[in-house]
Amino acid sequence: MTVQSEQIDGVLQVSVQEDMTIYNAASIKDTFLNWCNSGVPELEVDLSAVEELDSTGLQLLLSLKAESQKRAFSLRLLGHSQAVIEVFELLKLSMYFGDPVVIPADWKKS
Amino acid sequence: MSDMNLALQTFAHEVDELLTEMEDALLDLEETPDDAERINSIFRAMHTIKGSSGLFGFDDIVAFTHEAETVLDQARNGQRAVDNDLISVLLACKDHTAHLVHHFLTNENEALPTSLQEQGKLLIVQLNGEKHSIVTSLNLPATQNEELDQLHVETKSTNSSDNWVISLDFKQDALRNGMDPLSFIRYLSTLGNIVEVITSMPNQAELEAMDPESCFLCFKIAFNSSVDKQTIESVFEFAAEDCDIHILPPYSRQDLYLKLLENQADDQLKRLGEMLIDIGALTNKEVVEVLAEQQLDEVSAEKPIGERLLEKNIVQQPNVEQALKKQEAVKQKIAKEANYIRVDAAKLDHLINLVGELVISDAAIRLVVQKKGLTDVDDVASTMGHLVEEIRDTALQLRMVQIGETFSRFQRVVRDVSKDLGKLIELQITGGETELDKTVVEKINDPLTHLVRNSLDHGIEIPEERLMAGKPEKGTVRLNAYHQAGRIVIQISDDGKGLDPERILAKAIAKGLVKPDQTLTENEIFNLIFAPGLSTKEEASNLSGRGVGMDVVKSNIEALRGSVAVTSKFGQGTTVTIHLPLTLAIIDGFMVEARQERYIIPLNMVEECVEMDSDEWQMDELQHYVNLRGEVLPYLRLGNFFQSHQKPVLQNSNTPQRESMVIVRVGDARAGFVVDELHGENQTVIKPLGKLFENLKGIGGATVLGSGDVALILDVHGLIQYAQQRLPANMLH
Amino acid sequence: MAKTIMIVDDSASIRQVVGMAIKAAGYDLIEASDGKDALSKLTGQKIHLIVSDINMPNMDGITFVKEVKQMANYKFTPIIMLTTETDNTKKQAARDAGAKAWVNKPFQPPVLLNAIAKLVLP
Repeated sequence: MTVQSEQIDGVLQVSVQEDMTIYNAASIKDTFLNWCNSGVPELEVDLSAVEELDSTGLQLLLSLKAESQKRAFSLRLLGHSQAVIEVFELLKLSMYFGDPVVIPADWKKS
Repeated sequence: MSDMNLALQTFAHEVDELLTEMEDALLDLEETPDDAERINSIFRAMHTIKGSSGLFGFDDIVAFTHEAETVLDQARNGQRAVDNDLISVLLACKDHTAHLVHHFLTNENEALPTSLQEQGKLLIVQLNGEKHSIVTSLNLPATQNEELDQLHVETKSTNSSDNWVISLDFKQDALRNGMDPLSFIRYLSTLGNIVEVITSMPNQAELEAMDPESCFLCFKIAFNSSVDKQTIESVFEFAAEDCDIHILPPYSRQDLYLKLLENQADDQLKRLGEMLIDIGALTNKEVVEVLAEQQLDEVSAEKPIGERLLEKNIVQQPNVEQALKKQEAVKQKIAKEANYIRVDAAKLDHLINLVGELVISDAAIRLVVQKKGLTDVDDVASTMGHLVEEIRDTALQLRMVQIGETFSRFQRVVRDVSKDLGKLIELQITGGETELDKTVVEKINDPLTHLVRNSLDHGIEIPEERLMAGKPEKGTVRLNAYHQAGRIVIQISDDGKGLDPERILAKAIAKGLVKPDQTLTENEIFNLIFAPGLSTKEEASNLSGRGVGMDVVKSNIEALRGSVAVTSKFGQGTTVTIHLPLTLAIIDGFMVEARQERYIIPLNMVEECVEMDSDEWQMDELQHYVNLRGEVLPYLRLGNFFQSHQKPVLQNSNTPQRESMVIVRVGDARAGFVVDELHGENQTVIKPLGKLFENLKGIGGATVLGSGDVALILDVHGLIQYAQQRLPANMLH
Repeated sequence: MAKTIMIVDDSASIRQVVGMAIKAAGYDLIEASDGKDALSKLTGQKIHLIVSDINMPNMDGITFVKEVKQMANYKFTPIIMLTTETDNTKKQAARDAGAKAWVNKPFQPPVLLNAIAKLVLP
């Protein structure tokens, strides 16, 4: 999958550049695993380019969160795209991930 | 005054019913001590009797039942533990109440005799005396229970104040099938307000090992909406295969459900599931699933559906309880409303006799019609023939009763006897719905009692002995009934110590019943217990007699045209099997002829008829057996057997060229009867033979034919035994 | 971003009526007249749901579903089969092929839209 990653001051800044759906699930899982194995103390995941998020994508995010707790690195999700916000809202998950979610003013319109 | 008498009769009847119910419930309680519904029905019995006794001014009954009612109320509220001691006392209270009622109904204005007064006082002490000790001893568990209750309440209240609780447990293939859980939840959100969601992946911890295309998601959703359960279920209809779904209604719906249940029409008895579906507490799909599981899962197959629904968290306790209550109420109502007419048994007997005559007249008419060749009358006659047949069947049906009631009377016997003997015994009843003629039921009660008592007394061992033998502490006596080939089979079996063949044989030899050099199979030895004067237990207990009974049992059963046999495994148990005719009056017969004499074989014992052709038949005329398709079959020439005083006709002389063989069967025993002619089916009205002919061998009765002639009804069972005895022993298998 | 639905049915009138309803509900629509036609139109674009008839010329619905389940880009797409109440063997065959949702014919557009919405909201 297409990701951009950059490491600044011990923070691995990455961004998911495609849909988090079942069609991409296998490759996203591998990428997530690589991040976890990189051993950085902080991981920042930009989700702004995620146009679609289905249950497989959700499972991967949940697993990534669980993994961060187990391996004791901090995980920050940022730039939640509309698709991500919609799912988090639906399942009341924002609290679980604990990241500030910026809701665009017009998010329900399009 | 007569109104009052009528009312008293009603009272007597009502008390009778209530007390019977109470006894049943008490016995059930021994198995399931916490059954709230049972405790409730016992409470209701005492409560109702107290109420109506007050109406008639039977103050002593009021005073006594009040005490029992108080204790039962405590039991109902969980303040008083229901243990076996309490059940015993309550059973005694039930008996005492019956005595009290009987006293006042027979000696209206007399005071209670002191014996009854004393008895009542003693019971009241037993009822209350234990109360204190129980409460104190249960102090600790009681508080624990309270804590548990609180926890329970808390979990309930977190579930929701007024929300549906939907649990979704998706299976791994859901996503691959295109069933995305998110899309269903999205759709759900269009029907109401999703208040809270708990998302979890209980079966997937490691990211590394995860198959990302498999689904591991579980959801618990608190959902606020005014739609009904069916609608919510339909949201997930496409996921049905890929998801376990449980939908619990909000508590506000509970009240609605309870109200709806209350208001359901009483006119027909519905099944529990149906009631819950009707009010919307349950969907059709859920019932189908639970029932399907019930069939798969043999272990818990006997668990009632209500329990399963609760276990699976599909409906809540109050709903099931209310539905069960309703069901019970409707049952009772229907039972009361059912249009029963009490009929004098003698009238019924007379009717059945008349039907018997009618059957014979019908046969006579047919005969005339055939003889005179009246084709135009033929149609009418055959229509009437069918009607007569139907009238016969219906008339006989009138006397059919279920055997269950006879069986369940033994619950009390088993309970009392096992207490007296210090044994633990459970009575299992199956096939209680099997029907048979009332006259047969009445006559079978005594033999049955004897056999059950035998099992209790001689069969089941004391607990220590059972444990040593590696058996469960609790013994089982089983009563079973079923229909087989037009007869009813009743079995009394136990898992006790079984019969000891050596001891029986030794006894039988000592009594001169068997010669010492006689060789007997084990089964033959066992069946010696039915011989007169044989007791298997050295010191007879005071319960099941001194072994004088078994031969009486046998002759009682044989008097009903039945048979009895015993099988046993030493150390493992004994089974007594009784075969009885369903009715004593009319049978479907099969008429045959041998040497110009007509005989009737009960049709249900006829297995097949084969034409005889001596060349093909490997017939051994000396040893009297025939090789029927590779099977050795003993046979009997009916002509020779019944008319042996005449000169036996030799083969191939004057006998008709074609003889036939009728293969008959009783239980597992088979034999062939050789006859000259087959006349076909025939309705046979059994006329008992007079005392004079009682000892005729092989004849069970007689019937009058349409022509006025008499035909003999064969005692097939006896004839088969006779045929088998003639067979060399090594040929029996 | 609107979701895309493909409808596969040999009846032009059904395609028309259903198509109008689907578009009015806010979905994008791709129409195909039979299985073969549908396969030729699956060219890599995103499709969120397929509605397919069973009895069609050239390629029937069941074969079509089997084909879709082989395509990397579409194998996980939810499929609604249009079945007839009576034909249970066909229905089972479609389920075995991988179409887990169904709507019985004849149907009114709202019924189909409801079924679609359970799987994909616009």
